[in-house]
Formats: sequence, structure tokens, C-alpha cells
Amino acid sequence: MKKVLALVLAAMMLIGMMSIASADEGKIKLVVWSFTNELQGMIEKYYLPNHPELEIEFQIYPTDGNAYTTKVDNLLGANAASDEAPDIFTLEAAFVKHYVEMDWTGDLKDIGFTDEELSVAFPVMAQIGQNAAGVQKGLSWQSTPGVLMYRASLAEKYLGVTSPEEMQAKVADWDTFLATAEELKEASEGACKMVIGSGDIWNAYQYQRSEGWVVDGKLVIDDELLDFEELCKTLEEDDLTHKGGAWSEVWFAGMRGELETLCYFLPTWGLHYTLKPNCVAGWDAENPDSEENIANATENGTYGDWRITDGPVAYSWGGTWMGINAAKAAVADDAKKAAMHDLIYFFTLNDDFLTQYAADSGDFVGSAKAVETILANGGTPNPFLGGQDHYAIFASAAALANGSLMSEYDDTINGLWNDYVTTPYTKGEKDLDTCLSEFKAAVAAAITTITVE
Amino acid sequence: MQAVSNKKKVKSVSYSHWGYIFVAPFFITFLIFGLYPILFTFKTSVTDAVGWEHVLDNNIMNPWYENFRQLFDPNSLVYGKFWGSLGNTIIIWFFNFVPQLGLALILASWFTDSRLRLKAQGFFKVTIFMPNIITAATIGMLFMSFFAYPIGPVNTLIQTLGLSNLPIEYFRSVEWSRGLISFIQWWMWCGNTMIIMIAGISGINPSLFEAALVDGCSSRQTFWKITLPLIKPILVYNLTTSLVGGLTMFDIPHMMTQGNPNETTNTVARFIYTQGFTGSRNFNMASAASVVLFVIIIIGSLLIRYILNDHDPKPGKVSRKGAFVK
Repeated sequence: MKKVLALVLAAMMLIGMMSIASADEGKIKLVVWSFTNELQGMIEKYYLPNHPELEIEFQIYPTDGNAYTTKVDNLLGANAASDEAPDIFTLEAAFVKHYVEMDWTGDLKDIGFTDEELSVAFPVMAQIGQNAAGVQKGLSWQSTPGVLMYRASLAEKYLGVTSPEEMQAKVADWDTFLATAEELKEASEGACKMVIGSGDIWNAYQYQRSEGWVVDGKLVIDDELLDFEELCKTLEEDDLTHKGGAWSEVWFAGMRGELETLCYFLPTWGLHYTLKPNCVAGWDAENPDSEENIANATENGTYGDWRITDGPVAYSWGGTWMGINAAKAAVADDAKKAAMHDLIYFFTLNDDFLTQYAADSGDFVGSAKAVETILANGGTPNPFLGGQDHYAIFASAAALANGSLMSEYDDTINGLWNDYVTTPYTKGEKDLDTCLSEFKAAVAAAITTITVE
Repeated sequence: MQAVSNKKKVKSVSYSHWGYIFVAPFFITFLIFGLYPILFTFKTSVTDAVGWEHVLDNNIMNPWYENFRQLFDPNSLVYGKFWGSLGNTIIIWFFNFVPQLGLALILASWFTDSRLRLKAQGFFKVTIFMPNIITAATIGMLFMSFFAYPIGPVNTLIQTLGLSNLPIEYFRSVEWSRGLISFIQWWMWCGNTMIIMIAGISGINPSLFEAALVDGCSSRQTFWKITLPLIKPILVYNLTTSLVGGLTMFDIPHMMTQGNPNETTNTVARFIYTQGFTGSRNFNMASAASVVLFVIIIIGSLLIRYILNDHDPKPGKVSRKGAFVK
């Protein structure tokens, strides 16, 4: 019996090996690395069925604890041309700048991209995917413009605002934003706050700067940042926020309407993946579109009460870029280069695919041309926003945001700015000069390759 | 003649090589994953390796001890951060270790006391040991949400009980932040220390306790005069491992406070992490700090051995066979 079983198993193994071997012949093999299975799912669903000549090996490492970047660094640093090294790897907003500045990441024109093809991408996403010299090294299939999301019922009750246009006038710039916050406090007798915490506006406010953190190898503290500190301090001192941090329990309580909070600064993905599933306690993630779920969310939560408007500044938050491994692209034959080009082009710039994908997923895509097509086809009225079309608002924000502000050290410097300046200053623990000098010392210690004056 | 030589052969058959074979996997693993990284760190600590692109460049600093000089130069940028983090680490370790050892000793002596005969010992031992099984990072996250501000379980509790009208922002208070980290370390490792102490006490010859009982020793006297002196080697072991673990403390401060407020919970391991894995990836400085920490731990361990070892003139050495050799 055992012998028979062993024989069967051995035979199965042999057949398995033979089928793999035969499948290998004539196929182009690509190694794709990512930090979620999102791209793998998209490739398997939309791309592989029409491209039988491709064989794609996926590797997924989580970004938690820098597992993904450490893995990429190790392999590209020591063994970039090896078989296991990626041909194509994805890059997240937190570290995309770091990699596009490195020689490891290849110029997309080396695998056949042309200026004409690249021109349809939203400028902000394209800019973030370029290095300091303007070489295009990364392309994003999403575009992640940020907007201001607010609750229509609260705006009407306390501010008498009945349309997104009126609301936009109330938050046209940061001074009116603050004035509206004060007005809101008075009208609601302190019950309703403008935002959950002052940290919540950072993602938007940083796009107010005229220069990024590092210019010509020097640390720049833009004057707008000092205005940001004053705004945060006023918000804190005049008790205009709920004093909670982003992603905290309070932050989600505000989304569910348990605490009266007027505004959230969130990008495209924040609407679908953060605000919507958190608009009610007990959101049914399995059947989000079922009638009971919508009824429950409307009745007990904030479903349908949200509206979006541009807010004080056009900004972008997030995104996933696809980049190529320069060492492997350099030795690839023409067929492989074409395969890499076609794959990246399909997911980031192909009009037909992106229109289809936007309809399937509700995601906001990275090609301005595809967005135009979607708007021309009647847009996307969204019941979660009371029938408002989110695509139109996102499109204007995406066209305006300035991606040239991003630098490769943003992740570190933003963290230090929050820990050494924003938090101690707005909580009244230290004065601004002390905060700034401690911040500069911290930056100089963490980043030895830039000058801090 | 033949027979004699055969006999000799049989006598000289040695099984000792099996010992080497059995320990080989450990040593091979250690050489690759332990010794090599250590040597690599020593090498990196004298280079100018900043950023992943330059890890293997091997450009030695001029002078070669430049990174170390910066760590010891009060005017350098890293001086305050490094020594400040060492101070934080020692404070957090101290307030974790002292109560931990004290409680572990008391529990261990209760569990081993033949006069007390505690019931359901197994249950208590398991319960006390339990926190040690959970990953430190998980506990860090757990406590972070417990003590969340302005709404969190603890804040809700103290407001409901009327202990405070306003929510307390625990992680902006130096005492609370350090105290919570010490508490978690204590809570996690107390059970472990207790088990080691129980093992140590169980190793003491029971006739000594019986003799003490016959001579009319009180429990307290038995503990101070018999138990404690006889588990000294275990204490040395425990202090040393705790010192190594305490000075390399990383996960809980990293998950829970990220070194805040104002770097007061920044530990040496976090300093090394932020140097090596954030910003410009200063591997040279991270390695130099690791080497300094390595030396500090060696000095600390030797000090513990020196202080806890008997300095009385020894009555005699115990030979291998257990006989006294004068």
C-alpha cells in the first residue's frame, strides 16, 4: 500500500515538474515585487488572461517594520541582477522619492516609454515619480488627490451652509478655515469641532509650502510651516478640535458621528477605504452594498451625510508607483523590455483599462485622460456623498497639487517635525525657538548627507 | 599480543566526536548569523557607510575612530542623543528590574516553601508566566490603546470613577511613559525570573532546609541565611541576562512611544535604529553605537560578577570529583 502511494506521489511530482518545465519554454519571465497583493490581483484579473506569453513571479513583503524596503535594499544593493531580484517593484508614497533618486531604479525611457505616453499622467503623480534631474522612474496607477470632506447636516445646522460651493467659501484659505472653526464653536457652544486634531490638517497644509524640505542639499523650513504652527496652536488653545490624533479611537468616533466633527482631510482612498467603512459601528464589510447595511449606516451612522469640496489647498496623499530594476533592465533583451513596458503602460496609462478599473473598483486613476473619459461618460454620482460626484472634485484637486515638494527624506523629516515642533509647541510645552533648534539638531543627526543651518 | 592490542583498541574507542557533531549545527548557525554580523558591525563602525548604496564601500574614516570620537565628543550632534538614550534605558531598566527580582524571589520562596504547601501551584505559576508568551510588540500596542488620549479605556475609567474631570495625556508625561514601559517589562518578565528562581531554589539540597527547621530557623531566617546565599550563581545569571535584555530594550518603547515625549523614552537600541534605518541610513554611526553598547554590556556583566561573587578568602577549591583540595 505504502509503495503504491509513494509511486503515485513520485509520479505526480514528476508530472508536475515536467509541466512546469514545458510551460517555461518560450515564456517571458518577470519578477514583480510589491507590499500588498493589490497589484497581483489586478495583474491576474486583467492582464494575464490576455498575455499567455508571460510568466510572472510575485513576491510580497509587508511594509510593517520596513520589511519591504529592507528586502529591496538588500537585494538591489548586493545582487541586483540575480534571478530572484525584481524586474518591476512597487513603491509607496513614504519611500518612492528615496528610490527614484537612486541609480538602482531605472529610467522608464530605457524600456521604451515615450514623452507622449508619459504626458497623460497627472502632473503631481508624475512629478513624485521623477528624480531631482527630472528623469521619469516611477508611474502610479492611482492618483490620490486630497480634498476636504465635511458633514452636510452639521454645516447646515451650525453654519447655515447648504451646498459644497458655500462650504468652499468658508474654507477657501487657512484664515477663513480658522474663522469658520471659531464660528462653529460659538454656534454649537463647543459641542461641534472643526477637526479631530490639529495633526489632521498636516497632510493638506504641507502642500501650502513653496519649497520642499530639502533644496540643493540644504534643509529648508518654509515660512508657511511657521504659519502652520500658529494655526495649530490657536486650534489647540481656543479648543477648536477634539484633540485626538489621526487613526485614533476619537478619529473614528467622529466619522461615526458619535462626536460632532465637521471636517476631515482625506484623499481618494480615504473616502472608500477609511471614511465609508467607518461611518457606522457594525459596517457590514462582507456586503457593503446590501440594503440593510446602507439603511443601518444611514439611520445610525453618517452615510449620505458627507460632502466633499476642494478645501484650502490642493494636495495629494499616498499612491503606489511602479518602478523598474535598472540592473535587470540593462541586460534584458528587447522582448523582455517590451513586456515590462507593456505591463507598466497597461496599468498606469492605458485609457481603456483605467476606465474599466475605475468603474470596477471606484478607485481614482492616475491618468488625466482616463479621468476625462470617465467624467465625459456621466461621472460617478455617489450615494455616500448624497449623490455628489466625487470624480469631478478629485479631478480638479489632482490637476492642481504640486508634486515637486516631495523629497526623499520626507518620511523622516515629517516625523521629526511632528515630534520636535508641532506636538511640544502646540501643547505649550516649549517655545518655538527651542522647538526649531531641537528639530534642526535632530534632522542633522538623522540625515548626515544634507546641510542644516 | 593480538588480544591485548584489540583490548586496547576497544578501550580507546571514543564517542567524543559525536558531541562535536551534535553541537555543530549551533556553531555553524552562530558563525553565519551571529559572529559574522558582529564582525561586520565592528568593521562598519570605522567606515563612512551612509546609505544602503555604500554599505560595502569599505572607506575607512580618517582618523579611523572618527565615529567613536563623535559619540564621545560633547559638541557633536549625536553625543546628547546617545548618552541621553543610555540614561533613559538605565532608568527604565532599573524600575523594571528591582521590583521584578524582588517579587520573583518572594514568589519563588513561597512556591518552594515546604511548610506553606500552597495549593494550585501549577495554576499560579502558569498565570504568572503567561504574559511572557505574548509578543512584546502586541503588548505595546495593547497598552497604547488602553492609555489612549483623549478617549480610551483608562481615561474613561478614571473619569467614570471621578478621579479626574479631564482625560490625562499619559504619553506626554515623562513619568507615565517611562513608568508604563517599566511596568510592561516587569509584568512580562516577572514570571520568567520566578521560574528560574524556583529552579535555583529546588537545586538546593533539602537536607539544609531540614537542618534549619530542626535548629528552629524562622522562614525569614531560612530565606536570608540559606536560600539567598545558595542561589547566588542563579542571581548572577539572572542579573546578567536581564542587563543584556534591558540595555538592548527596543520593541516596547518603539511600538508605544517612539521615544516621545521629547526623547525621554528613547532607548539605546532605538537610537541605533533611528541612526541606521531612518533618515540617511547612517550605518557607520549605528554600528559605532552598537560597539559602544557592546563594551558597556561587557563591563556591566563583569561588574555584576565581581560584586556578587564571594570575596572572602576561599576555604578551598572544589575539585572536579567533589573532594576538597586545600
